[in-house]
Amino acid sequence: MKVTRREFLMLSGQAGAYLALSSCMGIDTKPVKEYVEDLKKIDKLKTAKQTTSLCYYCSVTCGLICSTDPKTGKIFNIEGDPDHPISEGALCAKGAAMLQTTELNEHRLTKVLYRAPYSDKWEPKPLDWAMMEIAKKVKALRDKDFILKNAKGQEVNRLESLAHMGSSKLDNEECWAITTMMRSLGLVQLDHQARV
Amino acid sequence: MTNHWIDLQHADCILIMGSNAAENHPISFKWVLRAKDKGAKIINVDPRFTRTSSQADVYAALRSGTDIAFLGGMIKYILDNNKYFSDYVLNYTNAACIVDEKFNFNEGLFSGYDPATRKYDKSSWVIKKDAKGLPEKDPTFKNPRCVLQMLKKHYSRYTIEKVSEITGTPVDDLKTVYELYSATGVADKAGTIMYALGWTQHTVGSQNIRTMCMIQLLLGNIGICGGGVNALRGEPNVQGSTDHAILTHILPGYLKAPAASQPTLQAYLDKAFVKSADPQSANWWQNYPKYITSLLKSWFGDKAVKDNDFGYRWLPKADDGYDSTLLSMVDRMYEGKVKGFFVIGQNPACSLPNAGKVREAMTHLDWLVHANIFDNETASFWKGPGLDPKKVKTEVFLLPAAASMEKEGSMTNSGRWAQWKYKAYTPPGDVLSVGDMIYRLMANIKKLYSSEKGAFPDPILNLSWDYADAKGMFDPVKVAKAINGYFLEDVTIADKTYKKGECVLSFALLQADGKTSSGNWLYAGSFAQDGTNLMARRKKDDPTGLGLYPQWAWCWPVNRRVLYNRASVDVNGKPYNPKRALLAWVDGKWVGDVPDGPWPPMADKEKGKYPFIMKPDGISSLFGPGMAEGPFPEHYEPLEGPLARNLMSAQLNNPAIKLFTKDCDKFSGCDPRFPFVCTTYTSTEHWCTGAITRWQSWLTEAQPEAYVEISHELAEAKGIKNGDRVKVESIRGSVKCVAMVTTRFRPFKIGDQMIHQVGMTFNYGWLFPKDCGDSANLLTPTVGDANTMTPEYKAFMVNVAKEV
Amino acid sequence: MSEGKSILVDTSRCTACRGCQVACKQWNQLPGTQTKNWGSYQNPADLSAQTWKLVRFAEGKKDNGKPYWYFFSDQCRHCIEPPCKATAGYEEAISQDAQTGAVIYSAKTSELNAKEIVDSCPYNIPRQDEKTKALFKCTMCLDRISNGQIPACVKSCPTGAMVFGDREEILEKAQKRVEQLKKTYPKAQAIDADTVRVIYIVTDDPSKYHQYAAS
Repeated sequence: MKVTRREFLMLSGQAGAYLALSSCMGIDTKPVKEYVEDLKKIDKLKTAKQTTSLCYYCSVTCGLICSTDPKTGKIFNIEGDPDHPISEGALCAKGAAMLQTTELNEHRLTKVLYRAPYSDKWEPKPLDWAMMEIAKKVKALRDKDFILKNAKGQEVNRLESLAHMGSSKLDNEECWAITTMMRSLGLVQLDHQARV
Repeated sequence: MTNHWIDLQHADCILIMGSNAAENHPISFKWVLRAKDKGAKIINVDPRFTRTSSQADVYAALRSGTDIAFLGGMIKYILDNNKYFSDYVLNYTNAACIVDEKFNFNEGLFSGYDPATRKYDKSSWVIKKDAKGLPEKDPTFKNPRCVLQMLKKHYSRYTIEKVSEITGTPVDDLKTVYELYSATGVADKAGTIMYALGWTQHTVGSQNIRTMCMIQLLLGNIGICGGGVNALRGEPNVQGSTDHAILTHILPGYLKAPAASQPTLQAYLDKAFVKSADPQSANWWQNYPKYITSLLKSWFGDKAVKDNDFGYRWLPKADDGYDSTLLSMVDRMYEGKVKGFFVIGQNPACSLPNAGKVREAMTHLDWLVHANIFDNETASFWKGPGLDPKKVKTEVFLLPAAASMEKEGSMTNSGRWAQWKYKAYTPPGDVLSVGDMIYRLMANIKKLYSSEKGAFPDPILNLSWDYADAKGMFDPVKVAKAINGYFLEDVTIADKTYKKGECVLSFALLQADGKTSSGNWLYAGSFAQDGTNLMARRKKDDPTGLGLYPQWAWCWPVNRRVLYNRASVDVNGKPYNPKRALLAWVDGKWVGDVPDGPWPPMADKEKGKYPFIMKPDGISSLFGPGMAEGPFPEHYEPLEGPLARNLMSAQLNNPAIKLFTKDCDKFSGCDPRFPFVCTTYTSTEHWCTGAITRWQSWLTEAQPEAYVEISHELAEAKGIKNGDRVKVESIRGSVKCVAMVTTRFRPFKIGDQMIHQVGMTFNYGWLFPKDCGDSANLLTPTVGDANTMTPEYKAFMVNVAKEV
Repeated sequence: MSEGKSILVDTSRCTACRGCQVACKQWNQLPGTQTKNWGSYQNPADLSAQTWKLVRFAEGKKDNGKPYWYFFSDQCRHCIEPPCKATAGYEEAISQDAQTGAVIYSAKTSELNAKEIVDSCPYNIPRQDEKTKALFKCTMCLDRISNGQIPACVKSCPTGAMVFGDREEILEKAQKRVEQLKKTYPKAQAIDADTVRVIYIVTDDPSKYHQYAAS
């Protein structure tokens, strides 16, 4: 079961509600644009693809239902999951604002940004370039600084000049992959938010 | 959490101390209020009256950093008034054990202290053993050297008046809290503690928690429904990220990181665990070889064989005693010893103490790789306040990361539930999940090492890294299965044969001979034998009626919903509280939750086992050698505090803390320039440094900028009005913000002094929104807990002045 | 008309997590506005055309010297006989939904005398949008409740401080809760329960929560 589809009990009904369509992303002091005498969002919800997820702020991990437009694949609504036994559909201010962490937020990073030494600006760079460039930097540093034996002559096989931090906001599988990668590179300086 | 969120509803008394649950774990209050509806008493102890306090039956204020005094007084109250649960204390703790004669305590120091190294020789902190190697006991508790009597003696100094003098909590409030909470020390009552960073972020953080653990043991509250010791963990997957050990001192599943003095797997295992001579101890850690071997098999696959110690040699080994936790890592970076730095989803430029030091340390790096969903003060540190980009050499790569709902995978909540979530949509542009980034980077590094020569390539070339799907993308299911583990050959255990390639369905089946793999033994069983992902379950059957929901998601270990649950029954397996029975021994088997081990209850002298199976002696330790600063928690003042002397002993601060000595590591003890106690916290509307939430207009609208909360009394003394702009300054830095003048902070009467306390959020940073204020961590000191190195964010000294 | 719908706002259970305030914005696609810290957790400082649901914070000292912090999740009360509707006298601008009793403003409210409408509201709720001159306030999530769902704010509430349901059932709940609270808080009451659909339970003088908590 890849996607959990919840059945919404839809009653037919005429309603005179309206939706204000002004941008909900970013600080927006513009006036509310206009009224639309239809039920655009609720209708979209009826046909939406619904995906269960989890709130990623505190460790209660409340259930989320993410609604996307089946045609465009775009996200347009995130609410609590009423089936979730801990949160039962509830969300706090941060959880309720989850939609503003999605692609709808204009501030989201979408390109690799690179800052050269002594530069005063970011430059967008291709993803593949960054992935290889970083790998090369890791190898160069590791080849230069790798410690096979310590001062006592004990075999230690470690790298002290590369450090890693983060993160407790990642999925388990990502966390495990990070530990695996960093230990195989020889890191002994790795730590994250669990410490603070 | 030993228990879980839903279980809070079963408590008869909830102590919320060191946590502001209503603000920082808001949905927990669904369950707190359900307990209250059923008549539970809610107690909140906090320097500041918070949204949590507003729902409490009893609110008591205490000065930041005096929790051990407060709780030590409760231990004294429990012992003096015989409020402890004697059956539990006798059978399930080491209260009756006899302490070694060489152990003593005098003026704040335990036996064995070496002031030169700031460390203890713990050889006297032991329980006496008889000729068979079993602990010597006095079940009558009359022996003055038995743990219970020693405990009584230690806390005899914690009189209610003395406690009040130290904490600033009125005597009447102390009495009310002690009476209400200790009333749970009976078979049919449960008391629980909800704590969080308000306890951990002190130089005595671990001992704060240990003091409460001891109270819970005395009252028989651990292992029971509605009880436990419940850490409200601070981040969505901080439980999982800890389990999977993005940490210097451990490997996945809390296995110790190997040290330089352990060149072979055997040398490592010799140091890894202590085996008890007591046949009734489960001696759980004797399985250690199975767990480490299975981990090495998951990492190095076929390349890990018995003849090469399963690749143990390839693991990095830090020198014995080497500390590389965050504070020391930054310290080395400041010295220029760290050249490359990966920061994934963390904002140390705002989140670590003495943030000015952190920001400067990053200018000493050659390169920094940062991944996040928004820009933040760490990625953009080179253009931060006071820095000229033209003078900063550090090369920076900022990688656009996927948000949680943009990727599939699991997260483990505070109640240890590993829950699966799905990808809702494909993120825009070049956005990648961190899993994909890590997968690609490591694949590239492997490629480079296979085509070119390089230093010690063995662990890189031998690493199993087959975690991509058909499209070459990071496959979380493949990784999750590797974490769970496989049978690598056909294996027959107790007449049952498991086929090669099947998922391991419990850590009990793991092998030390290389026939199984498991990337983290604690997660063995998160998949069924046939490969069904149990973390993705959504069934809500509730057979015990206690809200354990055993078929919703999956919980480590082996889907046990309450840890130490064998302590919820008496020695014969009869539930202490039949109305809320987690477990019962019925007709030769356990009924209820997954028991903490399959053996019969301990009254069965042949096959039965003690309940605290992870402890060497099978019983819990009211006295033990585990902590850096002593077997009994003792009150010490924070490193920066308002008092020149400790009212409890001659030892002012925790004697075992590490002291940092860089030029920027300044500390201001009892200094008239910084007369006010300050604590830091987060608000409901923002998350940690605000690195995610400050980019969201609905949240910045609700909490737009940095503020300091101060009492009316202090405001009047300093000529500050509500809403005025003020400067908060410590010896390390200053932050400008808005003053919130409130009745929710009040001065403390400490001895014959009036001491003011203020509080700040650490939710802000210079980058965005413009002029929202900078990080409160520009003020906090570089000092950590003696055991964990968790920084002391919760108590330090500042001045507050109106901005002119 | 049937008895319609009601919302119970039990402030004695509210922790001011502000899930409701943000959930309202999320569902109704309302923007976050620029605010300043004015010495309070309450922000935005007031309701507006962009903020239809606002948690108000009020603090002080009790008789025993201990602090109190009261939270009041403010919104349109959806009066049984709405004075705003009577004042407008213009059904196309302000109407009442026949099924639920929700009081609904349309774009045509821009044709009304805004000051007169706001002044007519005993709870000081409607707010005018500067540009379009139309009036805005909570819709009771009529789109949702007409389609079998509960209002966004109610759904987000973790503690049961907000409950949505048939009016009779909500009135009964309110009455029971007040009786229970009175044992500890003699001043407990359900504010204006007979005349409004959004019924607030308080445990102290309503004025301590908010100037316009009661009519």
